[in-house]
Amino acid sequence: MAKRKSLHSNSAGYNIFRTVNLIFMLTIIMVIMIPILKIIIDSFDGKASETVFRIFPEAVTADAYKLILSRPAIFRPLVISFITTISGTAIAMTITSFYAYGLSQKNLPGRKFLMGIALVTMVFRAGMIPLFLVVRNLGLMNTLWAVLLVHAMDAYYLLLLKNFFESIPSSIFDAAEIDGCSPLQTFIRVVLPLSKPGLAAIGLFYVVYYWNQFFDYILYIQTRPNLHNFQVFLRSLVIESDTQGFEGFSFATQSLKNAAITVSIIPVLILYPMVQKHFVKGINLGAVKG
Amino acid sequence: MRNRSAYAYGSAWNRLWKFRMFYLLMLPGFVYLVLFHYLPMLGLRFSFYDYDLRGVGDFIGFEHFRDALSSEGFTRAFKNTLILSSANIVIQMTLTISISLLLNELKNKLFKRVVQTVIYLPHFLSWVVVGALFTLFLSRQGGLVNAILSGLGGEPKYFLGEPGLWRGTFLFILSWREVGWGTVVFLAALSGVDPQLYEAAIMDGANRWKQMIHITLPQLVPVIVIVLIMNLAKIFNLFESVFVLYNPLVYKVSDVIQTYVYRSGIIQFRFGYATAVGLFRSVIAFALVVSANKISSRLRGESVL
Repeated sequence: MAKRKSLHSNSAGYNIFRTVNLIFMLTIIMVIMIPILKIIIDSFDGKASETVFRIFPEAVTADAYKLILSRPAIFRPLVISFITTISGTAIAMTITSFYAYGLSQKNLPGRKFLMGIALVTMVFRAGMIPLFLVVRNLGLMNTLWAVLLVHAMDAYYLLLLKNFFESIPSSIFDAAEIDGCSPLQTFIRVVLPLSKPGLAAIGLFYVVYYWNQFFDYILYIQTRPNLHNFQVFLRSLVIESDTQGFEGFSFATQSLKNAAITVSIIPVLILYPMVQKHFVKGINLGAVKG
Repeated sequence: MRNRSAYAYGSAWNRLWKFRMFYLLMLPGFVYLVLFHYLPMLGLRFSFYDYDLRGVGDFIGFEHFRDALSSEGFTRAFKNTLILSSANIVIQMTLTISISLLLNELKNKLFKRVVQTVIYLPHFLSWVVVGALFTLFLSRQGGLVNAILSGLGGEPKYFLGEPGLWRGTFLFILSWREVGWGTVVFLAALSGVDPQLYEAAIMDGANRWKQMIHITLPQLVPVIVIVLIMNLAKIFNLFESVFVLYNPLVYKVSDVIQTYVYRSGIIQFRFGYATAVGLFRSVIAFALVVSANKISSRLRGESVL
């Protein structure tokens, strides 16, 4: 690498390339960040109206955020989002990791079958309507159970976790068994602590999934809009600009829209550094075939 | 013989019994798969039944499929899916590969990480957030883009509401969210290129450009093929992005199979018909994935799945 540098770093053409490349990268950063930053800045703009464009707010206030916290019609979806994200992730992690733990047992009778029925879901799904009809027949319509359960085990994450568990040396399992640990005890005392990075990565992906989920709410929660999460609220507030459903809420100011988007982005921004640390690892793990 | 088979039976039972705890732990996952994946597959039979709000009616064979193929709504959705997906694949692959190659040329490690952090971010924002961001960003009242347009003396444009502008806008937003994330795979492949290859090339007098064309790019070809195949296999998955960004004004150019299924089945309660259209989609998607896998295993002796 050093040679590479000494031979070519001084040529004029290469310097031009580096400058152009730098400008290109800065442009990309701007293209991505400007829409996001503009929203965050505008959310503090007290005088934002629908018709005038300004780069910086004239009067900085947090009124829009106070409104979000004080109006039950806006605050409730936010609470629903937090509740379903936490419980959804807990349910999904439990189901997925238990199933992956079983699959990681090389001698488990029926392992191929149990693996196969999970893998099939990666390439073939019945689709929206048959799933909808099943959810309806199970009596889960208009309950949060529908949105919590329909995607509670992702086959791809299952594979990642299985590979992670399999990378634990079998001698550790043998030792645990000799010490009289039951499979569940082994799982809790040995497997989980040794798989923290993998579990953290998958957990974060589930958190992002449940936080960002919106279509299942539209599909399965039709007659009880008070169970809708913040994403669905955001969609009606900004995209559909449909404010009729919100009692005593005839105005949806520009700053409120901006603040609502910001509120939805913040948890992702907080978790993002952690997610980013893990996801490249996760993708590499996925390349390991099981 | 009898003895031995009795023994084998016993041992099989013993093995199952030995693993009983594991089966118990796997039970929730198993129930999940049965309830939310295999029960719906049984529901695919409704494709062949008259089924709407009045309930399940007569067996009607392939009538729904014939109806779909001759209906304007379905053919339009099918065409839009193909147009949007293939345009998206071309644009995204080009951008992703170019950006990966250029990122790879960055000397400053810190700057490279900053760029990576920024370009991966949009992938983690929900489609609602992305849709909301661009609804405001492209708004005719106070949106940044239209403010610049009118500043330059142009007319404000309704980017997401005019059939002539929708596809371009949609493809831009799709790329905005996904191109950065797409570079992850390519950067991983680039970091695996043997530095000795570059040293040998430099000895032969190759400059940076020639190194990129003759070493870096050929090393990327297998990954490019895999990603291309996987993207082709996912052509019919286009849904949430369209659902969030389309509206009745632009159905003509934006309605895709999945959104069509949603409206026919959930909004119009044509359960049988929508199941048939969905089945049609699932079968094509399945065939695409399986053939993609076949092609990939022939090309590099290893399957994608």
